[in-house]
Amino acid sequence: MEGKPATSPKSGPTARDDRAPWLTLKMREAMEAWLFISPTIAGFLIFFAGPLIAVIGYSLTEWNLLSQQVTYVGLANYRDALFANADFWHVARNSAIFALGLVPLNMMLALMLALGLSRRFPGVIIFRTVFFAPVVTSAAAWAIVWKFLLQGEAGFVNQMLAGIGIAGPNWLRDPDWAMVAVILTRVIKMVGLNMILYIAALQAIPRDYEAAARLEGASDWQIFRAITWPLLGPTTLVIMVITTIGSFKVFDHIYLMTGGGPENGTLVLAFYIYEQGFKFFNVGYASALAMIMFAIVMALTVVQLLLRRKDT
Amino acid sequence: MKGIRKVLTASVLAATLASPALAAELRFTIWTGNEAHLKMLNGYAESFRARRPDVTVKFETIPPADYTQKLTFQIAGGNPPDAGWLMEDAAPTFAKAGVLEDLAPALNAAKDYDFADFSKPALGLWVNGGKVIGVPFSTSPFVIFFNKDMFDKAGLEDPLVLAAKGQWTMATFQDVAKKLTAANGKPGFEFKDGQGYDSRIMHALMPPIRAYGGDVWADRKCGLDTPQAVASVRQLHDMVFKDKSIVAPGEKGDYFSGNSAMTINQISRASLMPKAGFKWGIAPLPTGPGGDSPVIGQAGIVVFAAGKQKPLAAEFVAHVTNKQNVAIAAQFFPPARNSVLASDAFINSNNLIPPAQMKIVGDAIARGKVLPAHEKSPQLLAAMKPRVDALWRADANVESALKAVCAAIQPLL
Repeated sequence: MEGKPATSPKSGPTARDDRAPWLTLKMREAMEAWLFISPTIAGFLIFFAGPLIAVIGYSLTEWNLLSQQVTYVGLANYRDALFANADFWHVARNSAIFALGLVPLNMMLALMLALGLSRRFPGVIIFRTVFFAPVVTSAAAWAIVWKFLLQGEAGFVNQMLAGIGIAGPNWLRDPDWAMVAVILTRVIKMVGLNMILYIAALQAIPRDYEAAARLEGASDWQIFRAITWPLLGPTTLVIMVITTIGSFKVFDHIYLMTGGGPENGTLVLAFYIYEQGFKFFNVGYASALAMIMFAIVMALTVVQLLLRRKDT
Repeated sequence: MKGIRKVLTASVLAATLASPALAAELRFTIWTGNEAHLKMLNGYAESFRARRPDVTVKFETIPPADYTQKLTFQIAGGNPPDAGWLMEDAAPTFAKAGVLEDLAPALNAAKDYDFADFSKPALGLWVNGGKVIGVPFSTSPFVIFFNKDMFDKAGLEDPLVLAAKGQWTMATFQDVAKKLTAANGKPGFEFKDGQGYDSRIMHALMPPIRAYGGDVWADRKCGLDTPQAVASVRQLHDMVFKDKSIVAPGEKGDYFSGNSAMTINQISRASLMPKAGFKWGIAPLPTGPGGDSPVIGQAGIVVFAAGKQKPLAAEFVAHVTNKQNVAIAAQFFPPARNSVLASDAFINSNNLIPPAQMKIVGDAIARGKVLPAHEKSPQLLAAMKPRVDALWRADANVESALKAVCAAIQPLL
């Protein structure tokens, strides 16, 4: 081989481009990476971080949206919500009841459906579709149908119950039953999503584990308790976190089914924030409530993550 | 020659550039999408162009359920319409916030406007200390819609006949509703749009309370715990739970599809009747111990103080609410102008409602009282709702429940 060695000016970590000799390759790669992720970062800053920071700022003001009068009040909105406003604690309690009712019920039902529908058998796709369909059904249509079914004496559900000798309550007008009704109808609507997540997780568990356990004489329950359930742990954590967050953020379902009634029995945090901000136009107070809700959901998520870490 | 050409060119250029600057477009928000309503409104815009050839008006429809909210966001977002409709319950809130322009100068300046022609009671919400914050365009009394076929089946005289005999009272109303329920197997009465327990609490409670001589609130004092209010609501409670003659909470009725014999509503709902498939009529509200007390729902036209073309918008409002244009609107929106109310044109304006029954509407406007409104209306209704929910239990103590409502709303009044 004669002539110059075949070295490229662009090779090596410190190679420089002819067009921009002051840039190292490392710098160039870093710049390219930032350019590629910049749309996402811009979206994050504009649509998430920006509003979040703005809400923190708003929460320190008394701001009437209509008159546009803004007064800095410091932490007064937080103090009022947490220590002076009895409605807030009533609403927070309702949100907690909703979450405590919905999350375990949703997860148990989703797991049971997934265990039944994770294996292949004729018609399994149809069953999965049937249980998933409510997830993609419009919330408004869902609410209209259920409000019709859950009428008092004339409702389909109560007529069915009457057929077996049970006098059903006036589901959506009885303060003792309205929360039950909204939880159950929400579970039926959303369970399909968690079912799909569980099915995916179940199908990822190697069959060998179950086969080996069966060779050792393990029962179905023992296989579930010792193999399936522990291996579903990460998925269960994800499902628990997203279902808990979703249950605290529930708004449309309550708005459409009960409007927070009867007797404020189903008035939950997200709906209360909506009332304060969009009906009474108290933007500052609504922002403070939103920050409190954010803190509650964040705390619950962290607790769940810590508990999971402790388990493993 | 060259100089003249330059001057001419400059003049043409200046004229061309100047014309768009003179042209103006007014934004006007409304909550109707009805084609006939839009045709009428666009007609107003056309006739306004006769005086202001360079002005166009763009009507923007916002659904009624979101109307006040979206309007507020437009104002807060710095993009207010120039003018628009405003519901009665929002008027005091908007006025208190100072977002409505005083229309008095424009109305006084308008030729042949005759502001004194407006019925004084109808202006209660819109005139404050010499300022005119809006002009009512719809002053619509509540009337009883009845299903004549159901009355005939029950062998009962209908409310029109009873009213003519002076027997259309709250007691008769209860009796008739009970008999209709028994004869037809469907409730005798349904609250307005089936929403009397939810978004139409005021429309459910106000007519009987006023018939008994009470009020929900007056002079910043809650009136729901007065003997008149308690007696009237107790009657409603009995009708719901003892007689089962009013569509119960949580049940579906719907007068307009023949599932209740009577309902309370405004004449704009007459547009649903041609498809109803039964004989029907409208009658005045039943009278009570407090006498004859028609209840009126209202909406006005306002100009927004933050608008960019306030004088022009106010001029357009004066145009829309002059005698001639109010007479045109009377076919859809009962007027507040006495001269139009008294005219044959109004009595004959609605092709669905016979003149004799339209006279009931006219009488009710002349003698009625507008629904109560307050600058904290949304908060008041939110505070009332859970306590009124407690009222609609079969075993509720009506007096205690109403006292609880007063305890909740008095601090806001």
